[in-house]
Amino acid sequence: MTSAERVDRLVRAADPARPEVIGSLGGVKQSLLEEIMSEPMVERVVEVPRRRLRVRRFAGVVTAAAVLVSVVPASIVLRGSSEGGGVSPIVSADAQVVYPPVAMAVAERNPRLLIDRPGWVVSTVSEFEEDHGSIAFRRGGRELEMTWYPATGYADRYADRRHVGPAKSVRVDDWPAEVFQYLSGDFSVLSRPRDGMFVEMRTSEGWSRKDLDRVLADIVRVDARTWLAALPAEMMRPVGERAAEVLVGVPLPPGFDVAALDDISVRDGYHFGVGVTSRVGCGWIAEWQRARASGDEAAVRRAADALHGSHGWRVLRDMDAAGDWPEVFWEYADEVAAGTLPAGYVQGWDCR
Amino acid sequence: MSSGTEHDEDRFRRVYAEDFDSLLAYALRRVAHPEDAADVVAETFLVAWRRRRDLPAGGEARLWLYGVARRVLANQHRGGVRRQRLGERLRQQIVASVADPGSEVPERLAVRVALAGLAEVDREVLMLTVWEGLRPHEAAAVLGVGPAVVRTRLARARARLRGLVGDDPGPPGHVLDVLTASTRKEDR
Repeated sequence: MTSAERVDRLVRAADPARPEVIGSLGGVKQSLLEEIMSEPMVERVVEVPRRRLRVRRFAGVVTAAAVLVSVVPASIVLRGSSEGGGVSPIVSADAQVVYPPVAMAVAERNPRLLIDRPGWVVSTVSEFEEDHGSIAFRRGGRELEMTWYPATGYADRYADRRHVGPAKSVRVDDWPAEVFQYLSGDFSVLSRPRDGMFVEMRTSEGWSRKDLDRVLADIVRVDARTWLAALPAEMMRPVGERAAEVLVGVPLPPGFDVAALDDISVRDGYHFGVGVTSRVGCGWIAEWQRARASGDEAAVRRAADALHGSHGWRVLRDMDAAGDWPEVFWEYADEVAAGTLPAGYVQGWDCR
Repeated sequence: MSSGTEHDEDRFRRVYAEDFDSLLAYALRRVAHPEDAADVVAETFLVAWRRRRDLPAGGEARLWLYGVARRVLANQHRGGVRRQRLGERLRQQIVASVADPGSEVPERLAVRVALAGLAEVDREVLMLTVWEGLRPHEAAAVLGVGPAVVRTRLARARARLRGLVGDDPGPPGHVLDVLTASTRKEDR
């Protein structure tokens, strides 16, 4: 045995990858595969801040007439604050405010929970549908994300969380809920179904159980208008007005209808930008396909040029610093501009 | 389009089935806490799923995965990776399977301490060669350096490790009861 072989033997003997760990995975390996393959294409994970993980596929369509107001005035209501005084983040909307019907429909069915403690503000609204949506609240470095679902999905979600560990009973707004703690130090709180819906609350990492209990004690259920008043005012602006800002310098595909953006109108600025640009991109790909099929070379060229030109769209360039959507968009746009219809674009861009 | 999608998905499934154990072993060898390997594996395969069209064919997929995992680990060390909720069950399973650290054989711990004392690239070359069983050109592909660099680093790493722990292989049994990654001789 040479000297090198002896060293290798020593190192091999010190291998920390023990067979009892690798060989004992059972169904875990398969379930992880299924979880991974169910992930949407638009999320990216490596070397990106958390915000970038929020780009998701859009579900469902809410259709409603566009009766919107341009600004939502709100009056601040002083509530009993639980921590060192200060102004509650919960405000009541002015009685004259008319909220978009799309937003009211979601709010009326929603559990409508808010954190009644100074400093907690809504930081992200990535999806906002009646059956599903998500609002993240942030205070300093801490974040609590509330996601709502129909009660029919409660049993499955509860069973899934039981894999994490034992459930511990708590009450949220005097309603029963269960806490699950992850090894990574974050928590999941599942509220029991109420009026046909339930909410899962997920903390960011690094919370103690005491931190969680303090925040849970400050969560309150509010009426629909108060809940909407807590959301960023930009979300309640007329969809046409918001879209006009997003679409500056963006060539529109034939037949593009701004009014059809109603169903994605209630989102924060980033996710509204995702929704609008995805509709534009899908429209251009549809036009590119139509033109190719009919042999209309000039129209093929126009569509390809429009997609290739997306690198210069202000909206995408502005979004590039905040998330990964522009990269996803450009990846597909460049393939089409180069003459190839990319596999997966329907899912990646949520084309319908 | 659909046939292309199926092709990519089938290839991803095959790579996952063939290389999962190797990747988990790779991660377990490079994290401070065994359960953290679940994050690395979940994140690496998630990247592979999203970039499945970029997955190399044949045996190169494993090297490609090691390269992704290396970047995931680097990111994790910088604190930039969130824990993957995806890997939660795997994490729980690893915790349940890992033996008490106190039961480790002292000689193994001494070798790991000595490995930790090597320069980063030297250590990685030695680990890829012995634990992953890679040949120099394969380790070079993972690390993004030339094969000649790997050979030089490997020789230096062995010499330094020998100086740190000696080259007495110890009593039998310390060797045979560990994972047996095949080690190929350097292709000089």
